[in-house]
Amino acid sequence: MKFNDAILGAAVLALALAVYLASRGFPTLPGQPYGPGTFPILIAATMAATGVSLVIAGLGARTPALVIADRFRNRRALWRMAAVPAFVVAYILLSKPVGFPLVVPPLLGALLIVLGTRPWVAIVIALGTTAAFWVVFARFLLVPLPLGLLTDVIY
Amino acid sequence: MELLAAFGTVLQPEILVVVVLAAAYGLFVGAIPGLTATMGAALLVPITFFMDPIPAIGAIVAATSTAIFAGDIPGTLLRIPGTPASAAYTDEAYKMRQKGQAELALGINLVCSVFSGLVGVAILILAAPQIARFSLGFSSYEYFFLALLGLSCAVMVSTGPASKGVLSLCLGLLLSTVGIDIVMGIKRFTFGDTELIGGISIIPVLIGMFAITEILRHAAEPRILPPTPPLHILRSAGEVGRTVWKYKGGVVRSSLMGSVIGALPGAGADIAAWVAFALSKRFSRTPEKFGTGHPEGLVSASSANNAALSGAYVPALVFGIPGDTITAILIGVLLMKGITPGPMVFVMDAGLVNAIFAVFLLANLVMLPLGLLAIVTSRRLLSVPQGMLFPVILLFCVVGAFAANNTLFDVWVMLLMGLLAFVLEENDVPLAPLILALILGPLIEENFMQSIIKADGVLTTFVERPIAAVLAAVCGLVWAGVVVMSVTRIRNTSAGKTA
Repeated sequence: MKFNDAILGAAVLALALAVYLASRGFPTLPGQPYGPGTFPILIAATMAATGVSLVIAGLGARTPALVIADRFRNRRALWRMAAVPAFVVAYILLSKPVGFPLVVPPLLGALLIVLGTRPWVAIVIALGTTAAFWVVFARFLLVPLPLGLLTDVIY
Repeated sequence: MELLAAFGTVLQPEILVVVVLAAAYGLFVGAIPGLTATMGAALLVPITFFMDPIPAIGAIVAATSTAIFAGDIPGTLLRIPGTPASAAYTDEAYKMRQKGQAELALGINLVCSVFSGLVGVAILILAAPQIARFSLGFSSYEYFFLALLGLSCAVMVSTGPASKGVLSLCLGLLLSTVGIDIVMGIKRFTFGDTELIGGISIIPVLIGMFAITEILRHAAEPRILPPTPPLHILRSAGEVGRTVWKYKGGVVRSSLMGSVIGALPGAGADIAAWVAFALSKRFSRTPEKFGTGHPEGLVSASSANNAALSGAYVPALVFGIPGDTITAILIGVLLMKGITPGPMVFVMDAGLVNAIFAVFLLANLVMLPLGLLAIVTSRRLLSVPQGMLFPVILLFCVVGAFAANNTLFDVWVMLLMGLLAFVLEENDVPLAPLILALILGPLIEENFMQSIIKADGVLTTFVERPIAAVLAAVCGLVWAGVVVMSVTRIRNTSAGKTA
């Protein structure tokens, strides 16, 4: 996923412009031209300069707009990679309503299988890891990992 | 003598257990290719959140110094450096293994790592209080330039074109401005989100940038490690001693040089190892033997990387300015504990400083027995199936990001920063300047705003004080160096094209 530097530079320029526009509206100290916007505007100016130099370098380099490394052309590799953010998003959405002890074993088991562990080994690891994490974090370190559906069952 | 008293406070069962466990964890992280020392430290931060300051510091120091050593194990046995700091001498060490000298190579690595780590700590203990005393008179101008110097060096030593280093720096600074501003207390870039008012927490950013990226890379290209031979380290103990003694000059030179390189902002253990290896070849009486499995370069380079790790704590503790990503993480931990590193800590809280020094010594000492254990068990350590390991690490990332503030918002931050960092690295944008800038951002902005308000907008006031002027000049030199380096790079590439 390597973009031509010109595309990267254009994105940087757009971000710099957005930061500048947002920072221009910040108030300033009474009687002084400085305020909360001063530092972000300086950052935006520096970013704009790097953006311009990236655009120049990118246009001169004559590389394609987007080079996709071989490892990402492989469909199975892409699936395995996509499983990582999918795991995190699923955890974020489900952990509170369903609960840590119920949502982690199937999620972890699925990820283990996707990354090439044999199913029955994956199930054992998923259950064992969930239990270990619960003991260490919820019991020992008192992190409020959500119980979710189990709240009613236990209390 | 105060240091001895500090040892008394540090040698408690609780701290000892934490340091030993952290060291064992560091050996595991370092020995497994794909898990870097920085990632190990980032994953440790959520746990240190629940500790007192001294064991928390001990845990980070122990885990990272053992991880830098343990990176040599897969380097020697499999020709895959466990952490980037071992890359300089991986080939040499692997050649030694091919000659049947794996035990000798690893023994040298361990002994040199422990020795140079202690030298680095000694330099830290001697130099840090002196520098702290000297810097007590620093005003916002000096601090501004000092922090700027740190960031500038981070750009200079980063790989890839300078423009991408600067881009990384700007992104970090920009992230640091999110939340309540320090001048007037207004909300900046919070997009109406209440979670963002407190700013972006450092823990999920660290985990995302250093752990999620590695997990993604592993998911794309799973690695199956070949089996390694059983090792009998005690058999070659005598030879290890003789070899290290033979090249003692290199050990001392590289330890001292490594400490200094580590103390330079931006340059860390990996650069120290490369420089030490190159120097040892130049000074060697038998340079022709380098590259054939010759222990001389190994002695120097594996001394330098651990010394650099200790040296990096000098600017971190004295000024609160990190020398590399690992010290940046330690500063983050200190800030979380309500300790703002800086010269005042040395004056106001000498007990704390001595306890920190003592825990540094302890962390380096436990490396010797645990390192031996790691070498002996390396066969099992390297046979942990990676397909099982990375999903568990991912769960750890999620829980760790959540645990610091008990909010799922931080898990989003972790994921988004991980994906951003992955794309940035694919495009040759280095990550170290970003993380240094994120941690230094508030310091730079505060001192810059104080200075510019004091100076009433007259920029020449910034360089009226002599030390500030010197620091500004050094900053200027660093940037001149950055420009010269990028111009040469462009010339070289265009020359390469026409040729």
